[in-house]
Amino acid sequence: MRLSRRGLLRAGLAGTAATTLGGLATGCAVPTGSTGRNMVLWYWDGGLGDTVVKKAKARYGDSVDLQAIKIGGYYRSKLMTTMTGRSHIPDIAGLKGEDMASYLPNADQFVDLRTLGAERYRSRYLAWKWDQGIADDGSMVGFPIDCGPVAHYYQYGVFRKAGLPYDPDDVSAELNTWEKFFTAGERLKKRIPGTYLLSDVNMVFENVVQQGDRRYVDKDRHFIGDEQHVRDAWALAVEAKRRGIVSDLVAGTPDQLSAVQDGKLPSQLNASWATNDIKSGVPRTKGRWRVAQMPVRPSNNGGSFLAVTKACREPERAFQIITWLLDAANQAQGFVDAGLFPSTPASYTLGALREPDPFFGGQITMDVFGPAAQRVEVAYNSPFDVALGQPLKDEIKNVGVLGKDPRKAWNDAMRKCRRIATHLGVSH
Amino acid sequence: MTSIKGTRRKGVALHAVLLVGLLLSAFPFYWAVIMSTHTSSEIFTYPPNLLPGSHFLENLRGLFDAVDFFGSMGNSLLVAGSVTFLVLLFDSLAAFVFAKFDFPGKRVLFALLMLIFMVPAQLAAIPQFVIMAKLGWIGSMTSLIVPAAANAFGIFWMRQYMTGAIHDELLDASRIDGAHFLRQYWHVALPVVRPGLAFLGIFTFMGQWNDYAWPLIALTNPDNVTLQVALSQLNGTHGTTDYGMVMTGALLALIPLLLVFAIGARQIIGDLAKGAIK
Amino acid sequence: MATTLRKPPVADPATAGGSRPRTGARRYWHLYAAISPFYLLFLCFGLIPVGFSLYVSLHRWDGLGSMEWAGLSQYQYLLGDSDFWTAVGNTIVIWALATFPMIFLAMVTAVMLNSAVRLKNLYRFAYFLPNVTSVVAIAIIFGSVFSTNFGLVNALLQAVGLDQVAWLNTPWGIKIAVATLMTWQWTGYNAIIFLAGLQTIPGELYEAARMDGAGPVQTFFRITLPMMRPVLLFVLVVSTVTGLQSFSEPQVLLQTTSNDSTFAGGPGHAGQTMVLYFFQQTFDNNDFGYGAAVAWGVFLVVVLFSIINWRLVQRRGED
Repeated sequence: MRLSRRGLLRAGLAGTAATTLGGLATGCAVPTGSTGRNMVLWYWDGGLGDTVVKKAKARYGDSVDLQAIKIGGYYRSKLMTTMTGRSHIPDIAGLKGEDMASYLPNADQFVDLRTLGAERYRSRYLAWKWDQGIADDGSMVGFPIDCGPVAHYYQYGVFRKAGLPYDPDDVSAELNTWEKFFTAGERLKKRIPGTYLLSDVNMVFENVVQQGDRRYVDKDRHFIGDEQHVRDAWALAVEAKRRGIVSDLVAGTPDQLSAVQDGKLPSQLNASWATNDIKSGVPRTKGRWRVAQMPVRPSNNGGSFLAVTKACREPERAFQIITWLLDAANQAQGFVDAGLFPSTPASYTLGALREPDPFFGGQITMDVFGPAAQRVEVAYNSPFDVALGQPLKDEIKNVGVLGKDPRKAWNDAMRKCRRIATHLGVSH
Repeated sequence: MTSIKGTRRKGVALHAVLLVGLLLSAFPFYWAVIMSTHTSSEIFTYPPNLLPGSHFLENLRGLFDAVDFFGSMGNSLLVAGSVTFLVLLFDSLAAFVFAKFDFPGKRVLFALLMLIFMVPAQLAAIPQFVIMAKLGWIGSMTSLIVPAAANAFGIFWMRQYMTGAIHDELLDASRIDGAHFLRQYWHVALPVVRPGLAFLGIFTFMGQWNDYAWPLIALTNPDNVTLQVALSQLNGTHGTTDYGMVMTGALLALIPLLLVFAIGARQIIGDLAKGAIK
Repeated sequence: MATTLRKPPVADPATAGGSRPRTGARRYWHLYAAISPFYLLFLCFGLIPVGFSLYVSLHRWDGLGSMEWAGLSQYQYLLGDSDFWTAVGNTIVIWALATFPMIFLAMVTAVMLNSAVRLKNLYRFAYFLPNVTSVVAIAIIFGSVFSTNFGLVNALLQAVGLDQVAWLNTPWGIKIAVATLMTWQWTGYNAIIFLAGLQTIPGELYEAARMDGAGPVQTFFRITLPMMRPVLLFVLVVSTVTGLQSFSEPQVLLQTTSNDSTFAGGPGHAGQTMVLYFFQQTFDNNDFGYGAAVAWGVFLVVVLFSIINWRLVQRRGED
């Protein structure tokens, strides 16, 4: 096929001119937010239950035109770009839990939900989750969507074969300290050679830190990653490595998946949403899994919020929609639609959440996750936690995977943390 | 002087090597096809399924329910087509000048062009968004087309290509005829740089087609997005992604690219095989 | 910069026609007009963002709130930031491991494609595929290819009696795996560039070489390679610029399903490239000010490296 230059030129000119002029002509008014009856809601795929969103559109269709938009890609960067650019800002925005620490210092970009009467709803939500949506100055930025209670997933048959407790209640009761958990790991390895309790040391380190009520930086912008709670987590992770109960497999790789499938990695400490990962990652293990409480106390991993931005013209209406979207019945539906673990304890007793799960041998997993969600300790999440936690996570990984000397790794981590803290204006 | 037998043996060896390359190149693509015919949970079984499954239609239906596939494909065609056209025009014109003419400031301007080429693309999102918002282009395809209408990469490529491909005698001859600059460009330069243009066209189209970092930010109206932005909405969090459906979408999105490549690549070798080494 | 190439002829109708030289602006206006679209677009959409990022790099900024003046402290910190320099080292090593095999393979492929008569379309099509295949599929495939116990690479190593390597768990293994992925993805692309370049070589030159009794290897070094120098320079410079700004390859290969940062680049940051480091600082740490400084650091490294490359090719060209 030969294309004539002239023909191409003509076609190209016509098409391009049409598009460009069309675009130029439409660009007159620059709306900051939405206009008229429009109410724009931003979230991401799986961020809210699809059925619930559809129902909300119909329910509020008389008064507003609710446009629920799924944003793909790096959600936070898109939201921040539009907010910094001060145009086309959504009225209602989903905020991911891991990003909360970076939104909260900018609470002035959002409507304080207390001014819309949020206090009335407080008692219906998990207290620690509610507190996570509140900024340092006391204003309420985020309204709770879901949470991610962490539990102990394990393979029933393997535990039984290794002579470990295997009934969920027994596992919860008997492996309730890290010492007992590690001893079980040693026993497992001895009885079934080549089997490890956990995939990596980071699973120990990060879960222990998350169980506590403090992270890496406190409210006064002071570095606390060198204090006892982190040292303890570090020591436990190093001990797990020393006692040989962690593998050197990287999570998500074929090596790890096949080890899980073969029962060589029969256990993991993971959030409620990991159920989906396991079901899709190793579908052949159906029926072999159970969940129990993790050692010491449950922790939380993930879970998001809805917020009303300052660009919203009808905050009262927006708030009304949010509270309806996230009431106990709709949160139960969100769990069915997208595996979103409700932040409303009233949902835990609803039928939809109490279905026996054949993947877990017919166990009602809510019996574990429900109580776990209610016992989570709340910790202050600093916007500097990510930056100052990273060197510790990197170095403990070096200990676990590359076999680095733990003492040297700790010193390296501390040296890096101090440098970063100075740079970020965090005292230490 | 090689015998016919020797030539044939050499030909077989050549094809054997090329065939190995073909298999290496095509396997992950084949894998993508396989993934598109399975459900998400079938994809991750170990050992992997190497044969097609039976869920392609199901994935297809899920995909069409989830996104406005053809509408957004139309937008992508519009953007990629317009940009490709503009890039071919502007870049080849500029390259022609840089390759074959002298004028004051040429070295400095070309050095500047190369410097601009080296600026990391990640710098721009926020200020670009502000500029576009001020111009009122946010949400429209204009915000994608205009900034991409000329680029340093293409000018550099066409300049290098024209340096070798356009022989000075040709230009000299046309100059004696008193040909105007645009006539030289149109009648002397363009006909001999077809393969170079074809390469630039294919990869400009491809780059625009697959780009989504900027479109994701600039296209705020969900009913009016490009294909990659539409497909990016399928990526969930926390293991909820339906990989079978995502892969189906990714594969369907490739069809126009493969067509453009098939048409463009013919220009690259086409009937010019006379230069081949035998 | 342009001196690698033959001095371009002054193809100006004004002097050729014998009339008196006019003043610069009037004489050359059409040339400036022809190159103006790029520079105008850059002024509108490039310069302001670049200036803005320079401004941001002199501040502390979390991307949303107010900026706080920081002077040159971000750059000062950058100079002593061992993680940044590790990333620079990683990037250069991965770039070198990927680029040289890639250029060699692409050249060989192009010459072979140019001479193969049958199935040319099929081959060309297949070699184009790595460049367009979905990243998700690529990540999964290469994850399995380099897996420790089940990977193809280790199977081959064991077949020839070598020990298996934990590719994605050791610093060098990670770099080699990432470089292999890049080579795989870009060889076909560069082969197509070379193929376009090969088409500019007049058949008569080969004819003449054959008359002189030159073999295929001699022909390649005496005719093909010298004639391809401008295109080769292009490929080298573009591979340098894009290779040093790479991030998607290590990201897809090394991201895990755990809660780890997707920008960390595997154990010991062994696969963390400069741009990944930029992402980590900007988006994970919310440190837009430092992120901008890192981006400028990346820019300087790329410029420096490109100049070195350009000089090398240029010098060889003058021999």
